[in-house]
Amino acid sequence: MSHKKITSLQDIEKLRQQLLSRQQSCKAKVLVCMTGCRALGAQDVCTEFRRQLKRLSLDEQVIVVETGCIGMCARAPVVLIEPHEYLYGGVTPEDVEEIISTTIQKSKPLNRLAVTQDDKPVVKVSDIDFYKRQDRKVLENCGRIDPRSIENAIERGGYVTAIRTLTEKKPQQIIDEVTDSGLRGRGGAGFPTGVKWNFARKSTGEEKYLICNADEGDPGAFMDRALLEGDPHRVIEGMIIAAYAIGAGHGFIYVRAEYPIAVEHINIALEQARALGLLGDNIAGTGFGFDIEVRMGAGAFVCGEETALIASLEGKRGMPTTRPPFPAVKGYQGKPTNINNVETFANVPIVLKDGAKNYSKIGTAKSKGTKIFALAGKVNNTGLVEVPMGTTLREIIFDIGGGIPKGRKFKAAQMGGPSGGCIPAKYLDRGIDYDSVQQIGAIMGSGGLIVMDENTCMVDIARYFLEFVQAESCGKCTPCRVGTKKMLTILDAISRGQAKLEDLDQLELLAEHIKKGSLCGLGQTAPNPVLSTLRHFRDEYEEHIVLKTCRAAVCEGLVRAPCQHACPAGVNVPEYLALAAEGRLTEAANIIRRRNPFVSVCGRVCDHPCEQRCRRSEIDQPLAIRALKRYIADYMDDYDSPMARPAQGQAEVAIIGSGPAGLSCAYFLALIQRPSVVFEAEPIPGGMLTLGIPEFRLPKDILKKEIDFILSHGVKLRTDSRIGDATDLLRSGFKAVFVATGGQRGKSIDIEGIDLRGVIDALEFLRDRALGKGLDCRGKRIVVLGGGNAAVDVARSAVRLGADEITILYRRTRQEMPAYEEEIEGALEEGVNLVTLGVPKRVIGKDRTVSAIEFLRAELGQADADGRRRPVPIEGSETTIQCDIVIPAIGQIASTESLNVEGGPELTKWGTVKVDPVRLNTTVDSIFSGGDCVTGPASVIGAIAAGQKAAVSIDKMLGGSGNLPHDVGFSFTKPDEETLAQSPPRAEEKIIPLEKRKRGFAEVVLGLDREQALTEAGRCLRCDLEE
Amino acid sequence: MSNSDTASLDTKPLDGILASMPEVGPNDLVPILQQVQKAYGYLPKAILMTVSDRTGISASRIYGVATFYEQFHLVPHGRHTIRCCRGTACHVKGGHNIIKAIRQNLGIEPNETTEDMRYTFETVACLGTCFLAPVMMVNNDYYGHLNPRKIKSILERYT
Repeated sequence: MSHKKITSLQDIEKLRQQLLSRQQSCKAKVLVCMTGCRALGAQDVCTEFRRQLKRLSLDEQVIVVETGCIGMCARAPVVLIEPHEYLYGGVTPEDVEEIISTTIQKSKPLNRLAVTQDDKPVVKVSDIDFYKRQDRKVLENCGRIDPRSIENAIERGGYVTAIRTLTEKKPQQIIDEVTDSGLRGRGGAGFPTGVKWNFARKSTGEEKYLICNADEGDPGAFMDRALLEGDPHRVIEGMIIAAYAIGAGHGFIYVRAEYPIAVEHINIALEQARALGLLGDNIAGTGFGFDIEVRMGAGAFVCGEETALIASLEGKRGMPTTRPPFPAVKGYQGKPTNINNVETFANVPIVLKDGAKNYSKIGTAKSKGTKIFALAGKVNNTGLVEVPMGTTLREIIFDIGGGIPKGRKFKAAQMGGPSGGCIPAKYLDRGIDYDSVQQIGAIMGSGGLIVMDENTCMVDIARYFLEFVQAESCGKCTPCRVGTKKMLTILDAISRGQAKLEDLDQLELLAEHIKKGSLCGLGQTAPNPVLSTLRHFRDEYEEHIVLKTCRAAVCEGLVRAPCQHACPAGVNVPEYLALAAEGRLTEAANIIRRRNPFVSVCGRVCDHPCEQRCRRSEIDQPLAIRALKRYIADYMDDYDSPMARPAQGQAEVAIIGSGPAGLSCAYFLALIQRPSVVFEAEPIPGGMLTLGIPEFRLPKDILKKEIDFILSHGVKLRTDSRIGDATDLLRSGFKAVFVATGGQRGKSIDIEGIDLRGVIDALEFLRDRALGKGLDCRGKRIVVLGGGNAAVDVARSAVRLGADEITILYRRTRQEMPAYEEEIEGALEEGVNLVTLGVPKRVIGKDRTVSAIEFLRAELGQADADGRRRPVPIEGSETTIQCDIVIPAIGQIASTESLNVEGGPELTKWGTVKVDPVRLNTTVDSIFSGGDCVTGPASVIGAIAAGQKAAVSIDKMLGGSGNLPHDVGFSFTKPDEETLAQSPPRAEEKIIPLEKRKRGFAEVVLGLDREQALTEAGRCLRCDLEE
Repeated sequence: MSNSDTASLDTKPLDGILASMPEVGPNDLVPILQQVQKAYGYLPKAILMTVSDRTGISASRIYGVATFYEQFHLVPHGRHTIRCCRGTACHVKGGHNIIKAIRQNLGIEPNETTEDMRYTFETVACLGTCFLAPVMMVNNDYYGHLNPRKIKSILERYT
């Protein structure tokens, strides 16, 4: 349909009315995203809709609209049905028929294709969290119109504001309006748009130029692309207003060649606008003339910088020039030129339509309006998000973005691309605007927001960005060209574990010089990703340098297989899994035992950091490594034979404590033929394994067998032997002492009534039970305070001891509970009550005995240093639970009694033992320490690793090589592609029936069967064999 | 540069390009090169010399511009161009393993072409489709949510 040229404001308003009335005959609209979703088959969906509608003779009443980005890219291809406002994701041509018959013909939702929230389908756009919490103003047409139809744009008010403005306002009025609105440049730096326009307007010269910067080069940003693809007329409208305000007759849109759809759509839009007289010599009869030319970039990141962009437009190499003179004075062809970003132009019609006053109501004091973020990376709802300035990262990432996939932990958000920085979890609750982001070491940038989780290495990220700017540096300024190269060399060395701590200072020094000595934004901001990660994640850099570890198991120079690297004890996981897959269980166990003697124990209670880093989880789910380890331990032929002949001779090393750290140290010393004596204060060995972990998780006979295996290597054990003074042992002839006394006492909680009868410490409760003096819980009501494994262990033990009613009271929410998820789940199944967001206030007593506990309800407040939200008690919300026994389980205190002596080693301010992180030596010669008494309450595998490390250090100190038996080269079998492609999902261990669980302390988890185990082991990708 | 090089290439497409641009000047160099590359598949030296002759833009400036921008290449490309994204979202989702897998499958490094002229392999700063991460393009087709194991079968589709 062709229209005659628009020659006045009335004309366009009339046209709009005409178009709207034509709309009314339409019954429904099917909106299909044909930009981003095209990559995932949107075209076929569209074709199918048209075919089916035609077949049903509905094609007159139901229109199929090919739109721009609807926003929820994670669910691509996305289809939106109007007027029902139903949103469907992951739509295939096969779904089309059902959508038509259900929604279009019967107006019913099709839950199968709906977004799920809290496991429930949510079909209406206004009910979907992703949209509900957004404020889509700039994006209001995106995904709602066919971007190739100027009629669609005009229906929704397009160009009306521009023509009204050109008709009714003087250029200076427009500039004042834009200045007053507080609109700042959306390209990154946030310079006030009105002020910029004023410079260009005041510049003398007949000929002026206007440029739209669509060279969206920041990796991770795609909002400009979406705007040009989805609503190009809005950008053109903004440019017309800007051109009129500054007096420009010619404009450019400089767009990346990597965005072919954007180029196509903007060219169509320009053609249509010209045809309607909305561009050209006499725009809509206003007498003002302006036209726009599209230029494609040729692939140079630096061209996003305005002076480089102008050089590129002039047919030169895209190198920046010094400012001043600014483009506003001397730009394209030496003429005054104004450059703004796509999103800035897209905001302009809103400012003029709503007025400065209304526009500036949204946002923060100095950052007005909304901002579009391109949400990507490790977040569930990737896509485009528009929110008011000042919205917090938590709202964007968790409420709108739906949080982190696979239940992993948030680590950082990268903002501002290569010029920006990484924001850590502790700032999740800070409102995001230009200034607040800068204060925490990043920049708003164009709005790319990449979410990173615990599997992202911050050194690697810094290196990645530096590699990027190094490659993109145009080479003009030496500090940028050479300095970034130098920094990259250092970062490379750090990522291989070959750097020194001094190199970090060198990095900071170089960064300073590069910032000061570079002409353009690229160089001045190039060091930012390094500086921000150094500021917030220095510990990760130091770990690479000192411990040679990459906690995310990413850096290739350090990591062979991520699982092995993630294991604190360095167990060669891929190798033993491969042996297990062949059914060679004893050999598999021997691989484990080269680095970890506790195969049975770790097969049951390990917190398996290996699984968190397993690369198979990128494909489906991680390997069930812990379950496989248990399978190996349970079914191997030769469990008891020692790994080496028993260590002979006089013991040179004394070990205090027979927990996992102490016994591991003794074991590894024995493997290198150094005999030792282990002193244990309790009557039985095992430390927390024996006294802390209940039998339903770790049966006593299994544990005993494992400890006997260790002792069979010539390790001498002295039980009931409390050591009062560790230094005494040195004086009595031992050449080295390893202190592994753990944390045997529970932390007390400082509330009223805590000294009443019936308050029992969790560790005491568990220990007494393990030693056979267990508390009679029959008929009792018990409240456990805390959310860790100890709390859950106590609760589940109490179930088995016949308690009447058991409640776990935790101050944060279930997500924040440190206990293993499967244990919490187990407890709930067994009938334990969980009360979260409750802060204990006092224990109430009657006759000096517990009768109830009073707590305050809490709500989650701002993030703490780890990014966990602090519970804030609500005043006046006192609630009581009637009970007979209160068991605090809120942490352990390091047991350092044997070191609290004259001439003993130094402790830290937290009361733990101070050691060198690599060698584990204390401040006193020949005394080493490791495990919970150094780290505070931590994992079993961490304690085993400490024992291993100490054994190596002690051997070296005594003149040995410190070499543990080699553990590589036993199996090179790599599963073939076909097996991997066909492998089933992760195996689940069987458990005993609930009724049986409640009746006694029988082990809950039964483990894998043979078939499950062999298949599961075959899922391993053998990352270790990759080149 | 001798005229015989020029003789071996048809200058007709170039004639058309220059004719379509009124008042060709130095400002138009980037669009000229973009169209030349589109017509010839790469920037042949002989054609660039002709561009210089016809427009008066010096050969050194043309060479400078042609080598500055990533998009331009002075040697012919393979039949299929693989463009693997190395943007941030792709990187944190294991994009470097995709690049590695392509290298291993084709036996070439980024910016190289296989001997049989079947594939040219390039990396791109960001394809702007971060929600598909990790992502690559083969010619004009997007492939998203990749993992290294998917690479071989995708590449085999392009003969």
